Amino acid sequence: MSNIIKTIDVTDSLENLKDVCDIENGRIAGKIFYDQAIYEQELEKIFARCWLFVAHESQIPNTGDYVTTTMGEDEVIVIRQKDGGIKVFLNACPHRGNKVCFAESGTTRGFICNYHGWSFNVQGNLVGQHESGIYEASDFDKAKWGLKEVAQVDSWKGLVFATFDPQAPTLQEYLGPMTWYLDALFDNQEGGTEFVGGCIRSTYDCNWKIAAENFVGDILHAGWTHDSAARAMLGGSVAKVSDFEESYSVNWNGHGYEFALDTVGNVAVLGESALNKYLHTIKPSVAERLGEFRSNMIGAVSSCTIFPNFSFLAGQNTVRVWQPRGPNKIELFTWVVVNKSAPQEIKEKWRKGAMMTFSPTGVFEMDDGENWEYCTKTAKGRVTAAQDLYIGLGMNSRASDTSLPGNVFKGQLNEANARAYYQQWFDHLNAKSWKELPNRNFGKQEAE
Amino acid sequence: MNVQIDNQTEQLHPVSFEQHHKISCFLAYEYRLLDEERFDDWLALMHEDIHYWMPGIENRRRENLLEHGFYAGDHMAYFDDGLRDLTRRVSRFKQASAWAENPATRNVHQVSNIEVYYGETDGEYLVHSVIQSVRSRGLDEQYVIYGRRTDVLVQEAGQLKIKQRLILIPNATLTCKNINTFL
Repeated sequence: MSNIIKTIDVTDSLENLKDVCDIENGRIAGKIFYDQAIYEQELEKIFARCWLFVAHESQIPNTGDYVTTTMGEDEVIVIRQKDGGIKVFLNACPHRGNKVCFAESGTTRGFICNYHGWSFNVQGNLVGQHESGIYEASDFDKAKWGLKEVAQVDSWKGLVFATFDPQAPTLQEYLGPMTWYLDALFDNQEGGTEFVGGCIRSTYDCNWKIAAENFVGDILHAGWTHDSAARAMLGGSVAKVSDFEESYSVNWNGHGYEFALDTVGNVAVLGESALNKYLHTIKPSVAERLGEFRSNMIGAVSSCTIFPNFSFLAGQNTVRVWQPRGPNKIELFTWVVVNKSAPQEIKEKWRKGAMMTFSPTGVFEMDDGENWEYCTKTAKGRVTAAQDLYIGLGMNSRASDTSLPGNVFKGQLNEANARAYYQQWFDHLNAKSWKELPNRNFGKQEAE
Repeated sequence: MNVQIDNQTEQLHPVSFEQHHKISCFLAYEYRLLDEERFDDWLALMHEDIHYWMPGIENRRRENLLEHGFYAGDHMAYFDDGLRDLTRRVSRFKQASAWAENPATRNVHQVSNIEVYYGETDGEYLVHSVIQSVRSRGLDEQYVIYGRRTDVLVQEAGQLKIKQRLILIPNATLTCKNINTFL
């Protein structure tokens, strides 16, 4: 196992983080969106530590199928093995560090570095070099110089996650009861889900957290920010969220899912009645599979972020990662997810519909980018960055009498998930290891 | 795309100087409509069966190419629109609540390297061009998108209409947050 990555040393935490992230008192400050020192702490204490989404199993069905992505700013290759497993390697040659795979996806028998011809097989082992004879004279041990493999890889219902930290809890523990909610989108039919072809990448001049937080629990913005898109797609305004009788904000370990139980509120904005009809058609079978409660979530007004930067919308079926590229820049990777068992024409409508609404050309997303960029840019001002930002909605909304798993709060129009998200962020930046991370969960581990 | 153009040029017949000029003027006019936010006039140039397609570009190795090289019909696309979709997009621009369009985005669209050939049927033209879109927002935001375009235009009741449009950008990662215009 000599190819496993070296764990990085953890530096001391920054002082006075409480000045910019004081969740008990419902306030944060813009500095967390624009500060280089904070960003460097994030790369180390969040992105080199947490489980990060790297691929969907359907993208790499066969041996040698690969995609490349990043974990934080670290470039990695995600590749299917002969035994059906998945390995994740640093996309850097262990000789001089050159990138070994320049394509975003494909199928291969291995990777050859362009610099000195070091050649690696699908398992990441070094199998040859240009002028290989000269290495022998230096007592070179090939077995020690394969591609560096990340500490842990695991998946949940097709979603593949990886972590650089050998001390990280299991993926199952990390996700906790959020898996119960994830299944409403990712396991609502036999056969599970798949990504339709391709990945669209775009660039925002915003902090990665402001986007992730938007999906963790900010449905409040939708009715206002997206009014123009809703009118374009539906001919009227979006559903008034405060009219829903029952809706929730649920979180765990900083992950958050906010949702109503209206079945098709999200899918409706794609303006394709066939998709609403499809969800209504499968709903009884979802109820049988997951219970009635979650059958109401399959395309409902909702959003989710798995800490730190993996998000999706059930109904629109857009899946994305907010890749950090400095404190005030992200690359957004988006994919479209569909049920494997869905009819081809339904998959096709989702492929188009997701892009029409939530993509760089999406009529909804267009208005988000503007907001997120200026939430970030205003914090360039030294004084502005120090001012309190209100994050106190729903302070007293904890649901005590619920059978639902996770930390459950009443109502979607609620900043409970955003607070839990930033609290987790704060806790990670203050902890030198997983052991020091406080457990702030109070809800049930499992559904009753 | 280069392969397609090379192959096509063998059998393609360029139109007359006069027709080339007419079509060049049409493309310039179309772009001026966009720059002047005359979206309804712009929509009126679309054929009812328009396929307006800007596929996502994938950075793949030569031995792992897709259906069309760097893109494929069943992969994600920036635009994969019919007339209904284009009309919806235009409708968003026109809402008073399109907050991100006020102050307005200022656009300069440019089209060049225009090649015009006779199409497969009478009154149809195959047009290759290179496009450039410059957008500025706020005080200092500027986004430039370059691309190669293939259009099929048809002459219908004395007016040219756009029946097919393929827009290919070279970028596998879009260098801006959105495309709040047409290309």
